[in-house]
Amino acid sequence: MSHMEVDRGLALEARGLRRAFGTVQAVVDASLAVPPGHVTALIGPNGCGKTTLMLMLAGLLRPDGGEVSVAGRDPLAEGAAARVHLGWMPDVLGTWDSLTCEETLTTFGRAYGLAREPARARAFDLLRTVHLSEYASQPARVLSRGQKQRLSLARALVHDPEVLILDEPASGLDPRSRIELRELVRALAADGKAILISSHVLSELDEMVDSAVFMSKGATLGADADAVVEKARRRWLITALPGTDVRAVLGDLGRPWEPVGDAPERAAVHVVDEADAAALLAVLVGAEVPLIAFGPAGSALEQAYLTMEEDRR
Amino acid sequence: MTAIDISTGETRQRGAWRPSLSGILLVAQLELRQRIRSTRWKWALAVFVALVGAVTLLLESTVGGEMFYGGPGDVVFGVLVFFVLFLGLLVSPTLSATSINGDNKDGTLAPLQVTALSAIEIVLGKLLAAWAASLAFLALSIPFMVWGFVGSGAPVGAVIVTVLVLAVELLVVCAIGLGWSAIASRTAASAVLSYVSVATLSVLTLVFFGLSFVLVSEPTTVRYYDQQYYYDETGQAYDSWTGERVDDPTADGCTFREETWDQPHTERTWWLLAANPFVIVADAAPSNDVVSDSRYESPQTMLGSIKYAVRSARLGPETVVNYCYGYDSYEEPELLPEELERRERLAGLSAVWPWGLAFHGLLAAGAIVLAVRRLEVPHGRLSPGTRVA
Repeated sequence: MSHMEVDRGLALEARGLRRAFGTVQAVVDASLAVPPGHVTALIGPNGCGKTTLMLMLAGLLRPDGGEVSVAGRDPLAEGAAARVHLGWMPDVLGTWDSLTCEETLTTFGRAYGLAREPARARAFDLLRTVHLSEYASQPARVLSRGQKQRLSLARALVHDPEVLILDEPASGLDPRSRIELRELVRALAADGKAILISSHVLSELDEMVDSAVFMSKGATLGADADAVVEKARRRWLITALPGTDVRAVLGDLGRPWEPVGDAPERAAVHVVDEADAAALLAVLVGAEVPLIAFGPAGSALEQAYLTMEEDRR
Repeated sequence: MTAIDISTGETRQRGAWRPSLSGILLVAQLELRQRIRSTRWKWALAVFVALVGAVTLLLESTVGGEMFYGGPGDVVFGVLVFFVLFLGLLVSPTLSATSINGDNKDGTLAPLQVTALSAIEIVLGKLLAAWAASLAFLALSIPFMVWGFVGSGAPVGAVIVTVLVLAVELLVVCAIGLGWSAIASRTAASAVLSYVSVATLSVLTLVFFGLSFVLVSEPTTVRYYDQQYYYDETGQAYDSWTGERVDDPTADGCTFREETWDQPHTERTWWLLAANPFVIVADAAPSNDVVSDSRYESPQTMLGSIKYAVRSARLGPETVVNYCYGYDSYEEPELLPEELERRERLAGLSAVWPWGLAFHGLLAAGAIVLAVRRLEVPHGRLSPGTRVA
């Protein structure tokens, strides 16, 4: 990409952002950095300030303090010059119901300064990308929620921005569309885009993102959060046939374990690496434990998220 | 995915106040497509035409033949112009008064704000779209106004000026509605505030003008001229001042007496009338009323009478009242010097409508500035109840 030649190091960067609405301090201290070609997840409970942070990054909301840099530009000072490098997909589904999908995207292309014909060509191009080609001349009101979500994603891509901010892009999508979204996000990252994505479907993010930024009570959690994710990645689940006491077996082996529910046939262990896991599996099979499942304990991000939630209680 | 050239985006580096024609037209086109397709636009236009047509027919059949005004069609023309203005004032805010907060509610505003479009392009585009829609109503009513005009004997300029002033007034109302839609977070509130604004300008100005009489009334000496005597049908003379029978009238002729009354000094409050859209239209429309030398001949046309009344209000109360015309003959009496002077001052007054239009222009410009400030991103303070997206 011609305009990607300049190596700006970080495509999207925020340092010490804060913002209050009246007496409510929505974002207290948020910092993050996304290099080009990188997908970063923004994770946190409802009301932790994710959307407010994303609005500040998108240049829609003025922070009370802190700095933002989008493709090396300051959206607060430079306005449109920074905004054209950024694609924003809001969590609120706003579509002009009476406009067709093609008109919607063409209008946005032109709003970013494209001429009419290139904007139209780009619109059809993107409708193919998000599998809405057959709706090109249909008004947006006939679209389902998931289809509107895809149209909204196409809208964020219309000017081929270097930085993408996607607020809950997966909500309302069917499983097929989620997989397509994941593939599209990875393809965009491979293309050199810096992508910040928030979602509640953490298992989805696991396979999509390169790193995660956790947010709690308006603040991003720094390196300690990364450690929690790393720890979560090494948590494995062991399940044996009912009636087996896996806990006792692990105790005999001198291996620390954590209970999983009340069932004694299930337990969680921490492994050093995959070789360690393989060795443990060999030992358990050797001890004739009737195993039926042995593997990583679901989504690492989900694990980390839940761990941090517990920490805060 | 194909790479596209956003170099044009780079060159559009500008602030919230930099307008470009292409940006304004883009937003206007978007607005018109979105709002006109989503509303029962054709039905609204049809109902409007039906209403104006019905009023025209009714006027034509009731007062169309009356000759005592400026011409047989004068009242038809005058009432029709006011009716079109009235409907225009009602219709215009419907499009603009929910334009900004409605988009905000639907979540379609923020995606537009993050584009390269500037705040002023979004605001002016919305204004242009709302105005274009109200002009459609005005355009449809032009044939009826021309119909009324043809029978009215008014100068051709009357139609042209009336239509132009109506168009400007609709623009003003659209801008005020847009301003409210930027300030109020709820669409219901902005709609109500827009109609309150329209009502304030067109009705409350008149009410305030009337009520303010109490405040601006001062004891003012009025000089009444009258014949010394008047006579009943038997030829019996009475004193005009005392009403007593006079058996032996001696010095017949014109005399005067001074009395001091509380009189409203409307020269201090006439500007309330100037702010009224109906007064502006009436004052701006040329009429071929001839103000003759007669003291008692005021303009005969409907719009002309309003113009005359407002301009008289600018002079304040009359301090000379002349009843000295012959009871037995209808000859015109000579005007008194004071009357001549007042007439000259009246003729020398500048028109009222430029003041009114200038005031409305200020209101509209203020509303636009406010709307642009509200749409400027990044948002600083947010008013309670609003959200960015």
